[in-house]
Amino acid sequence: MPRFEKIKFKPIPVSELLIEMKNLSELMIHLAYSAALFNDKELAEDVIELEARVDTLAYLLDMQIMVAARDAKDAEALIGVSAVAAAADKISDAAADIAAIVTRDIGVHPLVSAIFEKVEERLSKAIVREGSPAAGKEIGALDLAARMGVDIIAIRRDKEWLIKPSGREKLRRGDVLITRGAPQGIKDFKDIAEGSLAQLEG
Amino acid sequence: MTEKKRFEEIVECLVELKDTSELMIDLAYTSLMLDNKELAEEVHRLEENVDKLHTDFELLVLTSDFKKEEASGFLGLIRMGVAAEKIADAAAEIAEVVLRDLESHPVLKLAIKSAEETVAQACVTEGSTLVGKTLKEARVQEETGMWVQVIRRNMKTLRPKGDSRIQSGDVLIASGYSKGVESFRKLASPEQFCQVE
Repeated sequence: MPRFEKIKFKPIPVSELLIEMKNLSELMIHLAYSAALFNDKELAEDVIELEARVDTLAYLLDMQIMVAARDAKDAEALIGVSAVAAAADKISDAAADIAAIVTRDIGVHPLVSAIFEKVEERLSKAIVREGSPAAGKEIGALDLAARMGVDIIAIRRDKEWLIKPSGREKLRRGDVLITRGAPQGIKDFKDIAEGSLAQLEG
Repeated sequence: MTEKKRFEEIVECLVELKDTSELMIDLAYTSLMLDNKELAEEVHRLEENVDKLHTDFELLVLTSDFKKEEASGFLGLIRMGVAAEKIADAAAEIAEVVLRDLESHPVLKLAIKSAEETVAQACVTEGSTLVGKTLKEARVQEETGMWVQVIRRNMKTLRPKGDSRIQSGDVLIASGYSKGVESFRKLASPEQFCQVE
């Protein structure tokens, strides 16, 4: 049984909650398909964990909406927000269903993955290790897209997720990066992030 | 049919399911942001397509004559199809907010916009270098960072493909970072600002 946390009201603006739900749910779709098609358990577990996060956000958002609605007019104004949040929650559920194909050891036929690999860019994880030339650098300065055709689509820093980080974001040691790109580029970048390749050039 | 061929057919169908459902999410949020009913209706039309596609996909998988030891891998495929269909449903629910004329709360626009990406529309005028080019040749994304999601032509909504040819009078709806909006509009209507309602 998973542990269900008790959720207490927090005064976080509805817009912030909704943005996070939208961003997370979209990220989760990409992560989940990649996890299922390439049988990547780690990514799948991230998706399951994110699903719990989106659930928490959905509760918090509902509470905010309840507090904000004082009369019928308010309710009419807010019902659309509630419907969109519910849809984002549903999307994250669907992503978790896809991830469960991996975590429950059902798997996808390997021939399918092989064909899919040609049409789908694979997502991968890289951890910024001590001594990595990427640590302390702004993403923009790494010029990853031009150098190796790699894009950092999300960063996991401690318990927080930064989605579509801007070029100004500085990478820190311990950051878990979700990258997208061609297999060779992803591999090269992983070597850089994890410090086994000392130079960015080349 | 060779084994490889059979799989290609299944994968093709799955890719279409997956791509359509993801396009629908983008379109649904776009319809919300622009408060545009036509786009929202398009999402609903796509939802019907997805339902059909999903049935075709499941039939393909079920009739693919798999061996017992392959059953798990095929179950995985079926589940993936179910999830794609669920994603499409969710997109349709987002579009429904527009179709039901629910009040467009400022929070919604804020949420869609400040996800760093924004949506813009521009109409293609005679003098635009885009006229007569296919979307692939037009390199809109490379030039402006904006990604064309939809082409509207004579009140019809077209799903753009690489070989779709752009015509003068087309309205392009694109999403991307807000700093690309101006160059996107200039690319589509270089001589004058073309007001899209």
